[in-house]
Amino acid sequence: MTIDIRQENGGYVASFDGRLDTPAAIKAQQDIVVLTENADKEITLDCTKLEYISSSGLRLFLALRKETSVRGGKVIVKNINDEIKKVFQMTGFYNLFTII
Amino acid sequence: MDTVRLQHSLTLPNDVNTIPQLNEFLDTFCEEAGVDMETTMSLNLAMEEAVVNVMDYAYPEGTEGSVSIEARLDDAGITFVITDNGIPFDPTAKEDADTTLPLDERNIGGLGIFLTRQIMDEIEYERDNDRNILTLRKYINNKSNL
Repeated sequence: MTIDIRQENGGYVASFDGRLDTPAAIKAQQDIVVLTENADKEITLDCTKLEYISSSGLRLFLALRKETSVRGGKVIVKNINDEIKKVFQMTGFYNLFTII
Repeated sequence: MDTVRLQHSLTLPNDVNTIPQLNEFLDTFCEEAGVDMETTMSLNLAMEEAVVNVMDYAYPEGTEGSVSIEARLDDAGITFVITDNGIPFDPTAKEDADTTLPLDERNIGGLGIFLTRQIMDEIEYERDNDRNILTLRKYINNKSNL
């Protein structure tokens, strides 16, 4: 799992590549601290290359979503594959995020 | 009794860093069993959540132990049996996360076993001779929630 984070148009874009399973999510927690710190801005989670996500990864997304909600930012989830879309629907996450 | 057509087993230490090995094991099993990619991914998710739960709760932090996984294919479908020697832990007794709550009321936890329940058709827990035995089944031809 690699996460590439860059600033774009005053916000942040994080591109996920690979499998966000439990051990990957534990590591990712450190990698995305900069996103949490910038939760007052628009944050795009680019999932074009995200192959898989388990509940640990979902928890990271949710924690970030909650933080932006408190601090006035926004989380956009971009290009999730069909399998991940199903997981988002099963867990009710589909209604919690802006999905494009 | 259904004839077992395929059977694989794997033993992991109670370390979540070994989850990629579980994923590899399941991919191989599913491929040999002729399971489609979509179902393979769902089964991977259901099993990752179930196994991580065992690693987290049956073995309190700092205790060493192992988790055995058996995968079987018979005419009725796929059966996974997860066995550990940890403290009694019944994941079926855990309450599901409420997935209908609005954002500020949603809890960060409780999603793992919920996903396992959503994906599998049957989950049974048994405590036998100091072992936790969790049996999970997925019927073939039942595509609900996959």
